[in-house]
Amino acid sequence: MCGIVGFFAKGSQQAEIGRPVIDMLRALGCRGPDSAGVALFGSPNDNAFVVRVKLGDGGDLGSRSHKLVAYLETVTGCSHISTNASYARFLANGETDLLRLTAGVEELDEDFEIVSVGRRLEIVKQTGSPDNLEKTYSVSRSMGTHGLGHTRLSTESRVDLSHSQPFWSHGYPDLAIVHNGHITNYHQLRRMYEQRGTRFYTENDSEVVAIYLADQLRQGASLQESFERMLRDLDGSYSCLAATEQQLGFVKDAFALKPLVMTETTDFVAVATEEIAIRSAMPGLYSVREAQVGEIRVWQR
Amino acid sequence: MAEIVCGNRSTREINEEIRRIIATGEHEIVVQGPGARHNLGVAVLAPVRIRFAGSVGYYCAGLIDGPRIEVDESAGWGLAESMMNGEVIVRGSVGNGAAAAIRGGTVVIHGDAAARLGVSMKGGTVLVAGSCGYMAAFMGQKGTLVVCGDAGDAFADSLYETTCFVGGSIRGLGTDAIVERPSQQDVGWLDSALSQYLPGSQRRGNEFKKVVAGRKLWNFDKREWKVWQEAL
Repeated sequence: MCGIVGFFAKGSQQAEIGRPVIDMLRALGCRGPDSAGVALFGSPNDNAFVVRVKLGDGGDLGSRSHKLVAYLETVTGCSHISTNASYARFLANGETDLLRLTAGVEELDEDFEIVSVGRRLEIVKQTGSPDNLEKTYSVSRSMGTHGLGHTRLSTESRVDLSHSQPFWSHGYPDLAIVHNGHITNYHQLRRMYEQRGTRFYTENDSEVVAIYLADQLRQGASLQESFERMLRDLDGSYSCLAATEQQLGFVKDAFALKPLVMTETTDFVAVATEEIAIRSAMPGLYSVREAQVGEIRVWQR
Repeated sequence: MAEIVCGNRSTREINEEIRRIIATGEHEIVVQGPGARHNLGVAVLAPVRIRFAGSVGYYCAGLIDGPRIEVDESAGWGLAESMMNGEVIVRGSVGNGAAAAIRGGTVVIHGDAAARLGVSMKGGTVLVAGSCGYMAAFMGQKGTLVVCGDAGDAFADSLYETTCFVGGSIRGLGTDAIVERPSQQDVGWLDSALSQYLPGSQRRGNEFKKVVAGRKLWNFDKREWKVWQEAL
Protein backbone atom coordinates (compact mmCIF):
# COMPACT_ATOMS: atom_id res chain seq x y z
CA MET A 1 0.00 0.00 0.00
CA CYS A 2 1.89 3.09 1.28
CA GLY A 3 0.41 6.53 1.77
CA ILE A 4 1.72 9.69 0.14
CA VAL A 5 0.87 13.33 0.76
CA GLY A 6 1.86 16.71 -0.62
CA PHE A 7 1.09 20.20 0.64
CA PHE A 8 1.75 23.47 -1.17
CA ALA A 9 1.05 26.84 0.48
CA LYS A 10 0.20 29.53 -2.04
CA GLY A 11 0.80 32.75 -0.11
CA SER A 12 3.48 33.20 2.50
CA GLN A 13 7.09 32.02 2.28
CA GLN A 14 6.71 31.15 5.96
CA ALA A 15 3.50 29.13 6.02
CA GLU A 16 2.85 26.22 8.36
CA ILE A 17 3.91 23.19 6.34
CA GLY A 18 5.14 20.65 8.88
CA ARG A 19 1.79 20.51 10.63
CA PRO A 20 -0.45 19.80 7.60
CA VAL A 21 2.04 17.26 6.24
CA ILE A 22 2.34 15.32 9.52
CA ASP A 23 -1.42 15.54 10.21
CA MET A 24 -2.18 14.13 6.76
CA LEU A 25 0.40 11.38 7.33
CA ARG A 26 -1.14 10.44 10.67
CA ALA A 27 -4.45 9.72 8.90
CA LEU A 28 -2.58 7.42 6.50
CA GLY A 29 -0.54 5.68 9.20
CA CYS A 30 -2.55 2.48 8.74
CA ARG A 31 -1.50 2.33 5.06
CA GLY A 32 2.16 2.17 5.98
CA PRO A 33 3.24 1.07 9.46
CA ASP A 34 6.87 0.36 8.46
CA SER A 35 8.26 3.87 8.20
CA ALA A 36 7.33 7.53 7.97
CA GLY A 37 9.11 10.50 6.46
CA VAL A 38 8.77 14.07 5.27
CA ALA A 39 10.56 16.35 2.82
CA LEU A 40 10.04 19.98 3.80
CA PHE A 41 11.01 23.15 1.93
CA GLY A 42 11.81 25.84 4.50
CA SER A 43 13.43 29.27 4.21
CA PRO A 44 16.07 29.57 1.50
CA ASN A 45 19.63 29.67 2.76
CA ASP A 46 21.58 32.47 1.11
CA ASN A 47 24.36 30.93 -0.88
CA ALA A 48 24.41 27.78 1.24
CA PHE A 49 23.09 24.22 1.14
CA VAL A 50 21.45 22.44 4.06
CA VAL A 51 22.98 18.97 4.28
CA ARG A 52 21.35 16.19 6.27
CA VAL A 53 23.36 13.10 7.10
CA LYS A 54 22.10 9.78 8.41
CA LEU A 55 24.40 8.70 11.24
CA GLY A 56 22.90 5.22 11.43
CA ASP A 57 19.75 3.28 12.31
CA GLY A 58 20.87 2.79 15.87
CA GLY A 59 23.89 1.69 17.88
CA ASP A 60 26.47 4.18 19.08
CA LEU A 61 25.15 7.35 17.41
CA GLY A 62 27.11 9.52 19.85
CA SER A 63 30.56 8.42 18.81
CA ARG A 64 29.59 8.48 15.13
CA SER A 65 28.33 12.02 15.52
CA HIS A 66 31.67 13.03 17.16
CA LYS A 67 33.52 11.47 14.24
CA LEU A 68 31.43 13.39 11.69
CA VAL A 69 31.62 16.70 13.57
CA ALA A 70 35.42 16.38 13.92
CA TYR A 71 35.67 15.76 10.18
CA LEU A 72 33.34 18.62 9.17
CA GLU A 73 35.34 21.08 11.28
CA THR A 74 38.29 20.42 8.99
CA VAL A 75 36.25 21.06 5.81
CA THR A 76 36.15 24.67 4.67
CA GLY A 77 32.67 26.08 4.08
CA CYS A 78 30.86 23.83 6.56
CA SER A 79 29.09 25.53 9.47
CA HIS A 80 26.13 25.36 11.88
CA ILE A 81 26.71 21.68 12.62
CA SER A 82 24.09 20.05 14.84
CA THR A 83 22.94 16.51 15.58
CA ASN A 84 19.57 15.07 16.60
CA ALA A 85 18.82 11.35 17.04
CA SER A 86 19.80 9.57 13.79
CA TYR A 87 20.78 12.73 11.92
CA ALA A 88 23.46 15.36 11.65
CA ARG A 89 22.61 18.62 9.91
CA PHE A 90 24.93 21.36 8.70
CA LEU A 91 25.23 24.19 6.21
CA ALA A 92 27.66 23.92 3.32
CA ASN A 93 28.85 27.00 1.47
CA GLY A 94 27.21 27.42 -1.95
CA GLU A 95 30.56 26.92 -3.70
CA THR A 96 31.10 23.54 -2.04
CA ASP A 97 31.87 20.64 -4.37
CA LEU A 98 28.90 18.44 -3.38
CA LEU A 99 30.34 15.27 -4.92
CA ARG A 100 33.59 15.64 -2.97
CA LEU A 101 31.75 16.47 0.23
CA THR A 102 29.48 13.42 -0.20
CA ALA A 103 32.42 11.12 -0.83
CA GLY A 104 34.30 12.56 2.15
CA VAL A 105 31.38 12.11 4.54
CA GLU A 106 30.26 8.71 3.33
CA GLU A 107 33.81 7.27 3.43
CA LEU A 108 34.06 8.08 7.13
CA ASP A 109 31.63 5.38 8.23
CA GLU A 110 29.66 2.74 6.36
CA ASP A 111 26.44 3.86 8.08
CA PHE A 112 26.77 7.49 6.95
CA GLU A 113 24.53 8.57 4.11
CA ILE A 114 23.73 12.05 2.90
CA VAL A 115 19.94 11.94 2.96
CA SER A 116 19.23 15.36 1.47
CA VAL A 117 20.98 18.43 0.11
CA GLY A 118 19.27 21.61 -0.97
CA ARG A 119 19.02 25.33 -0.55
CA ARG A 120 15.69 24.63 1.13
CA LEU A 121 15.02 20.87 1.15
CA GLU A 122 15.27 18.87 4.37
CA ILE A 123 14.33 15.20 4.55
CA VAL A 124 13.54 13.53 7.87
CA LYS A 125 12.52 9.88 7.89
CA GLN A 126 12.76 6.83 10.10
CA THR A 127 11.15 3.45 10.70
CA GLY A 128 7.90 3.47 12.64
CA SER A 129 4.78 5.63 12.69
CA PRO A 130 4.19 9.32 11.83
CA ASP A 131 3.54 9.87 15.56
CA ASN A 132 7.02 8.62 16.39
CA LEU A 133 8.55 10.79 13.68
CA GLU A 134 6.83 13.81 15.24
CA LYS A 135 7.95 12.80 18.76
CA THR A 136 11.59 12.50 17.71
CA TYR A 137 11.94 15.43 15.32
CA SER A 138 8.97 17.79 15.99
CA VAL A 139 8.46 18.19 12.25
CA SER A 140 5.10 19.95 12.82
CA ARG A 141 6.99 23.12 13.81
CA SER A 142 8.50 23.55 10.33
CA MET A 143 7.55 26.63 8.35
CA GLY A 144 8.06 27.11 4.64
CA THR A 145 6.27 26.76 1.32
CA HIS A 146 5.67 23.10 0.51
CA GLY A 147 6.38 19.56 1.55
CA LEU A 148 5.91 15.86 0.90
CA GLY A 149 5.23 12.96 3.22
CA HIS A 150 5.22 9.18 3.07
CA THR A 151 4.10 6.21 5.16
CA ARG A 152 5.52 2.92 3.96
CA LEU A 153 4.30 -0.64 3.79
CA SER A 154 7.35 -2.43 2.48
CA THR A 155 6.64 -4.98 -0.24
CA GLU A 156 9.97 -5.57 -1.93
CA SER A 157 12.92 -4.31 0.08
CA ARG A 158 14.12 -4.06 3.65
CA VAL A 159 12.77 -1.80 6.36
CA ASP A 160 15.36 0.69 7.58
CA LEU A 161 15.98 4.43 7.46
CA SER A 162 17.69 4.46 4.05
CA HIS A 163 14.90 2.43 2.43
CA SER A 164 12.28 4.82 3.83
CA GLN A 165 10.81 7.65 1.79
CA PRO A 166 10.91 10.50 0.71
CA PHE A 167 13.91 9.91 -1.54
CA TRP A 168 16.34 12.62 -2.47
CA SER A 169 18.00 12.11 -5.83
CA HIS A 170 21.63 11.95 -4.66
CA GLY A 171 23.60 14.77 -6.22
CA TYR A 172 20.65 16.86 -7.42
CA PRO A 173 19.90 19.58 -4.83
CA ASP A 174 16.30 20.26 -3.78
CA LEU A 175 14.63 17.35 -5.59
CA ALA A 176 12.55 14.92 -3.52
CA ILE A 177 9.97 12.29 -4.39
CA VAL A 178 7.44 10.05 -2.70
CA HIS A 179 5.92 7.07 -4.47
CA ASN A 180 3.09 4.62 -3.86
CA GLY A 181 3.17 1.60 -6.17
CA HIS A 182 5.59 -0.64 -8.01
CA ILE A 183 8.00 0.15 -10.83
CA THR A 184 7.98 -3.13 -12.73
CA ASN A 185 10.88 -2.31 -15.08
CA TYR A 186 13.00 -1.19 -12.12
CA HIS A 187 15.80 -3.71 -12.70
CA GLN A 188 16.14 -2.72 -16.36
CA LEU A 189 16.31 0.98 -15.48
CA ARG A 190 18.68 0.36 -12.58
CA ARG A 191 21.06 -1.58 -14.79
CA MET A 192 20.98 1.22 -17.36
CA TYR A 193 21.78 3.88 -14.75
CA GLU A 194 24.44 1.75 -13.04
CA GLN A 195 26.19 1.27 -16.36
CA ARG A 196 26.32 5.06 -16.60
CA GLY A 197 27.95 5.19 -13.17
CA THR A 198 24.98 6.15 -10.98
CA ARG A 199 25.19 4.74 -7.47
CA PHE A 200 22.00 3.27 -5.96
CA TYR A 201 21.86 3.48 -2.18
CA THR A 202 18.98 1.03 -1.68
CA GLU A 203 17.07 -1.87 -3.23
CA ASN A 204 13.84 0.15 -3.08
CA ASP A 205 12.27 0.53 -6.56
CA SER A 206 11.11 4.05 -5.64
CA GLU A 207 14.74 5.23 -5.65
CA VAL A 208 14.78 4.93 -9.43
CA VAL A 209 11.97 7.49 -9.69
CA ALA A 210 14.19 10.09 -8.02
CA ILE A 211 17.14 9.16 -10.21
CA TYR A 212 15.00 9.19 -13.36
CA LEU A 213 13.48 12.61 -12.64
CA ALA A 214 16.89 14.11 -11.81
CA ASP A 215 18.20 12.72 -15.10
CA GLN A 216 15.37 14.35 -17.06
CA LEU A 217 15.74 17.68 -15.25
CA ARG A 218 19.50 17.66 -15.91
CA GLN A 219 18.74 17.21 -19.60
CA GLY A 220 16.76 20.44 -19.45
CA ALA A 221 13.21 19.05 -19.23
CA SER A 222 10.68 20.82 -17.02
CA LEU A 223 9.06 18.86 -14.19
CA GLN A 224 5.90 18.58 -16.34
CA GLU A 225 7.92 17.18 -19.28
CA SER A 226 9.81 14.85 -16.94
CA PHE A 227 6.50 13.40 -15.70
CA GLU A 228 5.30 13.01 -19.30
CA ARG A 229 8.46 11.03 -20.14
CA MET A 230 8.05 9.03 -16.93
CA LEU A 231 4.62 7.81 -18.10
CA ARG A 232 6.35 6.51 -21.22
CA ASP A 233 9.49 5.05 -19.60
CA LEU A 234 8.44 3.72 -16.19
CA ASP A 235 6.15 0.68 -16.20
CA GLY A 236 3.96 -0.43 -13.34
CA SER A 237 1.47 1.11 -11.01
CA TYR A 238 2.33 4.39 -9.41
CA SER A 239 1.05 7.55 -7.88
CA CYS A 240 4.07 9.76 -7.45
CA LEU A 241 4.67 13.21 -6.02
CA ALA A 242 7.82 15.22 -6.67
CA ALA A 243 8.98 18.56 -5.32
CA THR A 244 11.73 20.96 -6.32
CA GLU A 245 12.72 24.26 -4.72
CA GLN A 246 9.80 26.09 -6.35
CA GLN A 247 7.43 23.34 -7.50
CA LEU A 248 5.23 20.49 -6.38
CA GLY A 249 3.65 18.07 -8.82
CA PHE A 250 2.18 14.61 -9.26
CA VAL A 251 1.79 11.92 -11.89
CA LYS A 252 -0.62 8.99 -11.87
CA ASP A 253 0.16 5.87 -13.92
CA ALA A 254 -1.38 5.02 -17.28
CA PHE A 255 -3.77 2.44 -15.78
CA ALA A 256 -4.94 4.44 -12.72
CA LEU A 257 -4.02 1.51 -10.49
CA LYS A 258 -3.04 3.57 -7.46
CA PRO A 259 -5.18 6.11 -5.66
CA LEU A 260 -4.44 9.82 -5.47
CA VAL A 261 -6.85 12.65 -4.66
CA MET A 262 -6.31 16.39 -4.77
CA THR A 263 -7.84 19.70 -3.78
CA GLU A 264 -6.89 23.24 -4.64
CA THR A 265 -8.13 26.33 -2.81
CA THR A 266 -7.03 29.96 -2.97
CA ASP A 267 -4.66 29.28 -0.05
CA PHE A 268 -3.24 25.81 -0.62
CA VAL A 269 -2.98 22.66 -2.70
CA ALA A 270 -3.21 19.30 -0.95
CA VAL A 271 -2.64 15.94 -2.61
CA ALA A 272 -2.97 12.61 -0.80
CA THR A 273 -3.56 8.91 -1.28
CA GLU A 274 -6.92 9.14 0.50
CA GLU A 275 -9.32 12.01 1.10
CA ILE A 276 -9.44 11.17 4.81
CA ALA A 277 -5.90 12.62 5.06
CA ILE A 278 -6.90 15.99 3.61
CA ARG A 279 -10.17 16.21 5.59
CA SER A 280 -8.50 15.38 8.89
CA ALA A 281 -5.69 17.92 8.41
CA MET A 282 -7.52 20.88 6.84
CA PRO A 283 -10.93 22.02 8.09
CA GLY A 284 -13.03 24.16 5.78
CA LEU A 285 -15.11 24.03 2.65
CA TYR A 286 -13.43 22.66 -0.44
CA SER A 287 -14.04 19.85 -2.89
CA VAL A 288 -11.75 16.88 -3.40
CA ARG A 289 -11.44 14.79 -6.54
CA GLU A 290 -9.55 11.69 -7.66
CA ALA A 291 -6.80 12.29 -10.23
CA GLN A 292 -7.59 10.80 -13.63
CA VAL A 293 -5.54 8.16 -15.43
CA GLY A 294 -2.16 9.48 -16.59
CA GLU A 295 -2.91 12.88 -15.06
CA ILE A 296 -0.02 15.24 -14.40
CA ARG A 297 -0.21 18.47 -12.41
CA VAL A 298 2.57 20.83 -11.43
CA TRP A 299 2.20 23.88 -9.15
CA GLN A 300 4.88 26.54 -9.32
CA ARG A 301 5.59 29.34 -6.87
CA MET B 1 -35.17 11.88 11.87
CA ALA B 2 -32.16 10.56 13.77
CA GLU B 3 -28.73 12.16 13.78
CA ILE B 4 -25.31 10.63 14.27
CA VAL B 5 -22.34 12.88 14.97
CA CYS B 6 -19.16 11.08 13.96
CA GLY B 7 -16.67 13.05 16.05
CA ASN B 8 -13.89 10.66 17.01
CA ARG B 9 -16.03 7.56 16.65
CA SER B 10 -14.71 4.62 14.68
CA THR B 11 -16.31 3.39 11.46
CA ARG B 12 -17.56 0.30 13.29
CA GLU B 13 -19.27 2.39 15.98
CA ILE B 14 -20.95 4.57 13.35
CA ASN B 15 -22.16 1.59 11.32
CA GLU B 16 -23.45 -0.11 14.47
CA GLU B 17 -25.29 3.08 15.40
CA ILE B 18 -26.88 3.16 11.90
CA ARG B 19 -28.08 -0.42 12.38
CA ARG B 20 -29.35 0.26 15.87
CA ILE B 21 -31.38 3.25 14.64
CA ILE B 22 -32.81 1.27 11.71
CA ALA B 23 -33.87 -1.49 14.15
CA THR B 24 -35.96 1.06 16.07
CA GLY B 25 -38.05 1.66 12.94
CA GLU B 26 -36.57 5.10 12.15
CA HIS B 27 -36.53 5.84 8.41
CA GLU B 28 -34.27 8.88 8.16
CA ILE B 29 -30.73 9.20 9.42
CA VAL B 30 -28.29 12.07 8.98
CA VAL B 31 -24.63 11.32 9.64
CA GLN B 32 -22.70 14.50 10.50
CA GLY B 33 -18.96 14.85 9.88
CA PRO B 34 -18.18 11.54 8.15
CA GLY B 35 -14.71 12.98 7.34
CA ALA B 36 -14.09 10.65 4.37
CA ARG B 37 -14.05 7.53 6.58
CA HIS B 38 -14.08 4.24 4.69
CA ASN B 39 -16.78 1.53 4.68
CA LEU B 40 -19.72 3.67 5.78
CA GLY B 41 -23.28 2.47 5.18
CA VAL B 42 -22.23 -0.91 3.80
CA ALA B 43 -24.81 -3.72 3.47
CA VAL B 44 -27.83 -1.69 4.56
CA LEU B 45 -30.83 -3.84 3.60
CA ALA B 46 -33.78 -1.68 4.72
CA PRO B 47 -35.64 0.98 2.68
CA VAL B 48 -34.35 3.89 4.80
CA ARG B 49 -32.79 7.25 3.85
CA ILE B 50 -29.27 7.93 5.04
CA ARG B 51 -27.53 11.22 4.35
CA PHE B 52 -23.79 11.59 4.90
CA ALA B 53 -23.28 15.32 5.47
CA GLY B 54 -19.74 15.48 4.06
CA SER B 55 -17.33 13.22 2.19
CA VAL B 56 -17.08 9.44 2.47
CA GLY B 57 -14.10 7.17 1.83
CA TYR B 58 -13.87 3.78 0.13
CA TYR B 59 -16.73 1.29 -0.39
CA CYS B 60 -19.55 3.52 0.85
CA ALA B 61 -23.01 2.01 0.24
CA GLY B 62 -21.55 -1.24 -1.03
CA LEU B 63 -23.74 -4.36 -1.03
CA ILE B 64 -26.88 -2.40 -0.18
CA ASP B 65 -30.41 -3.55 -0.99
CA GLY B 66 -33.13 -0.94 -0.81
CA PRO B 67 -31.99 2.24 0.95
CA ARG B 68 -31.48 5.72 -0.49
CA ILE B 69 -28.02 6.90 0.48
CA GLU B 70 -26.93 10.49 -0.17
CA VAL B 71 -23.43 11.90 0.11
CA ASP B 72 -23.16 15.71 0.29
CA GLU B 73 -19.56 15.88 -0.95
CA SER B 74 -17.25 13.35 -2.61
CA ALA B 75 -16.80 9.57 -2.34
CA GLY B 76 -13.69 7.39 -2.62
CA TRP B 77 -13.09 4.08 -4.41
CA GLY B 78 -15.76 1.39 -4.86
CA LEU B 79 -18.89 3.49 -4.21
CA ALA B 80 -22.05 1.30 -4.15
CA GLU B 81 -20.05 -1.71 -5.25
CA SER B 82 -22.26 -4.75 -5.93
CA MET B 83 -25.42 -3.01 -4.76
CA MET B 84 -28.62 -5.00 -5.32
CA ASN B 85 -31.20 -2.22 -5.21
CA GLY B 86 -31.73 1.30 -3.89
CA GLU B 87 -30.45 4.78 -4.76
CA VAL B 88 -27.03 6.27 -4.16
CA ILE B 89 -26.69 10.01 -4.80
CA VAL B 90 -23.29 11.76 -4.60
CA ARG B 91 -23.21 15.56 -4.90
CA GLY B 92 -19.46 15.72 -5.51
CA SER B 93 -17.00 13.54 -7.42
CA VAL B 94 -16.23 9.86 -6.97
CA GLY B 95 -13.03 7.79 -7.05
CA ASN B 96 -12.20 4.67 -9.05
CA GLY B 97 -14.58 1.77 -9.51
CA ALA B 98 -17.84 3.50 -8.61
CA ALA B 99 -20.94 1.34 -9.20
CA ALA B 100 -18.75 -1.65 -10.08
CA ALA B 101 -20.69 -4.90 -10.52
CA ILE B 102 -24.02 -3.43 -9.42
CA ARG B 103 -27.03 -5.68 -9.98
CA GLY B 104 -29.81 -3.12 -9.66
CA GLY B 105 -30.79 0.29 -8.33
CA THR B 106 -29.58 3.73 -9.40
CA VAL B 107 -26.29 5.53 -8.78
CA VAL B 108 -26.28 9.29 -9.45
CA ILE B 109 -23.03 11.26 -9.47
CA HIS B 110 -23.33 15.04 -9.72
CA GLY B 111 -19.58 15.61 -10.19
CA ASP B 112 -17.04 13.56 -12.16
CA ALA B 113 -16.16 9.88 -11.91
CA ALA B 114 -12.55 8.64 -11.98
CA ALA B 115 -11.39 5.37 -13.63
CA ARG B 116 -13.37 2.13 -14.04
CA LEU B 117 -16.87 3.53 -13.48
CA GLY B 118 -19.57 0.84 -13.68
CA VAL B 119 -17.25 -1.99 -14.65
CA SER B 120 -18.95 -5.38 -14.90
CA MET B 121 -22.42 -3.92 -14.24
CA LYS B 122 -25.02 -6.66 -14.09
CA GLY B 123 -28.04 -4.36 -14.00
CA GLY B 124 -29.15 -1.02 -12.60
CA THR B 125 -28.57 2.52 -13.83
CA VAL B 126 -25.62 4.87 -13.44
CA LEU B 127 -26.01 8.59 -14.19
CA VAL B 128 -23.05 10.98 -14.14
CA ALA B 129 -23.62 14.73 -14.56
CA GLY B 130 -19.93 15.38 -15.21
CA SER B 131 -17.32 13.29 -17.00
CA CYS B 132 -15.99 9.79 -16.47
CA GLY B 133 -12.41 8.50 -16.60
CA TYR B 134 -10.56 5.59 -18.13
CA MET B 135 -12.17 2.17 -18.80
CA ALA B 136 -15.74 3.00 -17.80
CA ALA B 137 -18.31 0.22 -18.36
CA PHE B 138 -15.59 -2.39 -19.01
CA MET B 139 -17.23 -5.81 -19.51
CA GLY B 140 -20.66 -4.42 -18.60
CA GLN B 141 -23.20 -7.21 -18.75
CA LYS B 142 -26.55 -5.45 -18.25
CA GLY B 143 -28.00 -2.15 -17.12
CA THR B 144 -27.54 1.40 -18.38
CA LEU B 145 -24.69 3.88 -17.92
CA VAL B 146 -25.24 7.56 -18.75
CA VAL B 147 -22.45 10.15 -18.83
CA CYS B 148 -23.62 13.71 -19.53
CA GLY B 149 -20.07 15.07 -19.98
CA ASP B 150 -17.08 13.49 -21.68
CA ALA B 151 -15.98 9.85 -21.47
CA GLY B 152 -12.33 8.83 -21.04
CA ASP B 153 -10.16 6.37 -22.92
CA ALA B 154 -11.10 2.70 -23.55
CA PHE B 155 -14.76 3.49 -23.02
CA ALA B 156 -17.09 0.45 -22.97
CA ASP B 157 -14.30 -2.03 -23.68
CA SER B 158 -15.31 -5.70 -24.15
CA LEU B 159 -18.95 -4.92 -23.50
CA TYR B 160 -21.76 -7.46 -23.18
CA GLU B 161 -25.28 -6.05 -22.92
CA THR B 162 -24.84 -2.84 -20.91
CA THR B 163 -26.14 0.16 -22.85
CA CYS B 164 -24.09 3.34 -22.58
CA PHE B 165 -25.00 6.94 -23.43
CA VAL B 166 -22.49 9.80 -23.63
CA GLY B 167 -23.51 13.45 -23.92
CA GLY B 168 -20.05 14.90 -24.60
CA SER B 169 -17.06 13.54 -26.47
CA ILE B 170 -15.51 10.09 -26.12
CA ARG B 171 -11.75 10.18 -25.81
CA GLY B 172 -11.36 6.63 -27.08
CA LEU B 173 -13.68 3.68 -27.63
CA GLY B 174 -12.72 0.31 -26.15
CA THR B 175 -12.36 -2.84 -28.18
CA ASP B 176 -15.60 -3.96 -29.80
CA ALA B 177 -17.52 -0.86 -28.68
CA ILE B 178 -19.62 0.76 -31.41
CA VAL B 179 -21.50 4.04 -31.56
CA GLU B 180 -25.13 4.00 -32.58
CA ARG B 181 -27.84 6.56 -33.01
CA PRO B 182 -30.23 6.42 -30.02
CA SER B 183 -33.79 5.35 -30.86
CA GLN B 184 -36.82 7.53 -30.12
CA GLN B 185 -37.47 5.26 -27.15
CA ASP B 186 -33.90 5.84 -25.88
CA VAL B 187 -34.31 9.62 -26.17
CA GLY B 188 -37.58 9.48 -24.24
CA TRP B 189 -36.02 7.33 -21.52
CA LEU B 190 -32.98 9.65 -21.25
CA ASP B 191 -35.17 12.75 -20.95
CA SER B 192 -37.25 11.22 -18.19
CA ALA B 193 -34.21 9.81 -16.30
CA LEU B 194 -32.44 13.20 -16.48
CA SER B 195 -35.49 15.13 -15.34
CA GLN B 196 -35.93 12.73 -12.42
CA TYR B 197 -32.31 12.47 -11.22
CA LEU B 198 -30.39 15.38 -12.74
CA PRO B 199 -32.97 18.12 -13.28
CA GLY B 200 -30.20 20.74 -13.43
CA SER B 201 -28.58 19.10 -16.46
CA GLN B 202 -28.52 21.09 -19.68
CA ARG B 203 -28.36 17.91 -21.75
CA ARG B 204 -31.34 16.72 -23.77
CA GLY B 205 -31.92 13.09 -24.66
CA ASN B 206 -31.38 13.69 -28.36
CA GLU B 207 -27.82 14.99 -27.79
CA PHE B 208 -26.48 11.66 -26.56
CA LYS B 209 -24.44 9.08 -28.43
CA LYS B 210 -25.34 5.47 -27.73
CA VAL B 211 -22.51 2.96 -27.25
CA VAL B 212 -23.13 -0.79 -27.33
CA ALA B 213 -21.20 -3.99 -27.97
CA GLY B 214 -20.26 -4.77 -31.56
CA ARG B 215 -20.66 -8.41 -30.46
CA LYS B 216 -17.49 -9.48 -32.24
CA LEU B 217 -15.95 -10.77 -29.00
CA TRP B 218 -19.01 -12.69 -27.87
CA ASN B 219 -18.09 -15.84 -29.75
CA PHE B 220 -14.67 -16.99 -30.82
CA ASP B 221 -14.27 -17.22 -34.55
CA LYS B 222 -10.82 -17.99 -35.91
CA ARG B 223 -11.62 -16.06 -39.08
CA GLU B 224 -11.70 -12.98 -36.85
CA TRP B 225 -8.27 -13.64 -35.36
CA LYS B 226 -7.26 -10.02 -35.95
CA VAL B 227 -10.02 -8.76 -33.66
CA TRP B 228 -8.81 -11.05 -30.88
CA GLN B 229 -5.21 -10.10 -31.36
CA GLU B 230 -6.19 -6.49 -30.85
CA ALA B 231 -8.44 -7.23 -27.87
CA LEU B 232 -5.88 -9.32 -26.02
